[in-house]
Amino acid sequence: MDRRTFLKQVMLWSAGACFMPVFRITPDLLANEKVPARVVVANGTDYPSILKKAIESEGGMASIVKNGSKVVIKPNIGWDRNVEQGANTHPLIVKTLAEMALLAGAAQVMVFDRTCNEERRCYANSGIKDELETIRDKRIKCVHIDDRKFVPVQIEKGKSLDEWSFYRDALEADCYINVPVAKHHALAGLTIGLKNIMGVIGGHRGRIHWDMAQNLADLNTVIKPTLNVVDATRILTRNGPQGGNVKDVKKMDTIIVSKDIVAADAYATTLFGKKPEDIDAIRKAWESGLGEMDLFKMNIVKLS
Amino acid sequence: MTFRHLRIASQLLFLCIFLFLFRQTDYNGSDHIPYAVNIFFRWDPLVAFTVMVAKRAVILVFLPSLIVIGLTVVFGRVFCGWICPLGTLIDMSARWIKPLWKWRINKRPLKYMILAFVFGAAILGVQYIAFFDPFSILVRGLTFALDPLMNAVVTGFFDGIYTHLPSLVSNITEPVYTFLKETILPFKQTFFYLSGLSLLFLMFIFFLEKFERRFWCRNLCPLGALLSLLTRISFLRRVPFKSCSKCMACSLKCRMDAFEQEGRLMTEECNMCMDCMDFCPDKIVGFSFRKPVNRTKMNTSRRSLLKSALLGMGLPFVSGVNPAFNKEHPYLIRPPGALEEKDFLAVCVRCGECMKICIQNALQPVILEKGIECMFTPKLVPRFGYCEFNCTLCGQICPTGAIRKLNLPDKQKFVIGTASFDKNRCLPYDKGIPCIVCEEHCPVYDKAIKFKTVQSIDQKGNPVTLKKPYVVETLCIGCGICEKVCPLQGEAAVRVIAKSGQSEDGADDTGYGA
Repeated sequence: MDRRTFLKQVMLWSAGACFMPVFRITPDLLANEKVPARVVVANGTDYPSILKKAIESEGGMASIVKNGSKVVIKPNIGWDRNVEQGANTHPLIVKTLAEMALLAGAAQVMVFDRTCNEERRCYANSGIKDELETIRDKRIKCVHIDDRKFVPVQIEKGKSLDEWSFYRDALEADCYINVPVAKHHALAGLTIGLKNIMGVIGGHRGRIHWDMAQNLADLNTVIKPTLNVVDATRILTRNGPQGGNVKDVKKMDTIIVSKDIVAADAYATTLFGKKPEDIDAIRKAWESGLGEMDLFKMNIVKLS
Repeated sequence: MTFRHLRIASQLLFLCIFLFLFRQTDYNGSDHIPYAVNIFFRWDPLVAFTVMVAKRAVILVFLPSLIVIGLTVVFGRVFCGWICPLGTLIDMSARWIKPLWKWRINKRPLKYMILAFVFGAAILGVQYIAFFDPFSILVRGLTFALDPLMNAVVTGFFDGIYTHLPSLVSNITEPVYTFLKETILPFKQTFFYLSGLSLLFLMFIFFLEKFERRFWCRNLCPLGALLSLLTRISFLRRVPFKSCSKCMACSLKCRMDAFEQEGRLMTEECNMCMDCMDFCPDKIVGFSFRKPVNRTKMNTSRRSLLKSALLGMGLPFVSGVNPAFNKEHPYLIRPPGALEEKDFLAVCVRCGECMKICIQNALQPVILEKGIECMFTPKLVPRFGYCEFNCTLCGQICPTGAIRKLNLPDKQKFVIGTASFDKNRCLPYDKGIPCIVCEEHCPVYDKAIKFKTVQSIDQKGNPVTLKKPYVVETLCIGCGICEKVCPLQGEAAVRVIAKSGQSEDGADDTGYGA
């Protein structure tokens, strides 16, 4: 290293040190490990009502949405598929969460996803846009991704990724509710909460696949959801994540709520007859200290 | 309020309708286009005639063209003067483009020659209308160039403010931007090949205004020529039939220069703008229904028409010796529902509507890869945009039926091509890196891209479990989403090859047709 590169690097690093702390994640994991992860599993066909019960059991919406806060609800709206096909989060769950957040005093509820198919078609066909419009509240913003809002973030705890761009609204949210749908995925095994973060990152997402499990764990160190709500009302058991045929969709009438994203995903694997350790991303996330994957160490609360 | 004011109001009204329909030529949140946004092509008798001649069939979607024909038989070329949006734009440009240069030869016969030429070619099933139909030129100019350009400029302006100026400023500009996006701007930025050329075509029409007003309409427009022929038997006639010798205002100021040397009005050259009613100091000019008597000769001869038609019939044979026209085109993928290639080329009027409405900006104009006859026809460029599985808009918008209207289940089975892997580049094969983004996106049930799970060794010599993708050719419909999402740089490692046997009469083994 010559003097010039040395100076350059020193300046770059110190510049980074000055500007980056905005999105630095504080090491709050140690504190979490003391209490066993709590997973609430609600069963029933009246989705809004079981969801409300589950969140009540988890401490109520008011405990996570403070008055006047900016809430992001991040469902999976990735595909131009309808509700029955099970490729996107159930619109009723998204709607109920939005209503509850408003009731808890949210100043703004943003709902968005970076879609795979054409965004207008996905928002329409998933039923989410229409369902949210029935609330008729201006604080709800169900908008399309604005490419200008992707900002590069240094992933400090990343093992395979050191930088990726994230959606600013997701980074700046006071409360981030992760609302994935549980689905089959050929490469990842299953796509649940951890993989749902793909919808708030920029760049060429295909590259994430090259080391999917570790990359997902790394990305999840940047945004840690305040709450995870896994939609397993119906699950796509084959030909995911797009699906397309209702023959592959299995009705489960289950909603999983947890503040621990790894625990929520770990429990969801059991619905597919799998074990948490079958899914590489869950294992890697656990290794990165993002949460609990051992079903026996969790506090699983079943409501029905 | 004179007829002239009425005419201007009508022109503005139809221009607004045209621009409104142009903006409506987009996905509107529903799978169906609610009304005839392509009406300007469907009531264009030139399009109707050439397509029906080329296809040798009566096509009912062209029924609205009878309206324009009927209108012309009764009122003369009112379509040119009162309705045509290109004519209106030309009239509006007169404020900035003044006819300063002189070019004294009689150019009027040209439009009849172009008309005969286009018909001659249509008889042999070849469409040259792309280069001459006013709406095709206008819509392509707007779709490929002006509309994307406007969006790029406006978006660039607001993006610049948003990115570089403090939020104090962008808090003011962003609502304006949002408002514009909801009203006049397209939903997203589009990109098109041939944008420059399409704009040049359009600009050329306005450039010609340097010579005389309505140059295009007087001398070149084949639709105008067709309507002129009908005007010979029309009933609404100007009285007096010639300009009186007193002030000559009507003949001197006529935007169509429709008066011949002796001052007689060439009825078929008049576009019924009715300005002369206003110019006339004595107010003696009027229009009334008369028996159609023509006091002037047509600006064309049977001989020149015949020659032009023969040229139109001869030119297609040149493509017979052009390898570009005859060889197989592996990457020339027609939209789903497109007719068999020969019929497609006969029926497609290159209006650009399918490319305008394509929700993924995936349909692009063909350049010269298949000869000049195929220029501006649509092709799918999957690396740029794929064919959306649940979308049937191009078939719905096509005004001529070159792309058939398919219902969704049929469209989802319609094969436009077949994906094929380049295993030398595909990551799991080439580098031992897991990928299968293509498989993930494949919309076909139960996946036209499947994979084999194999134990392999990666480039560092470590054992690795790989999923190696392959195409199930009986399932693949060629939508191209795999090619679009392939994370390789440059060309994708999976490419869609066009459905073979599309050009039925082309392509022997040498690639040079008979």
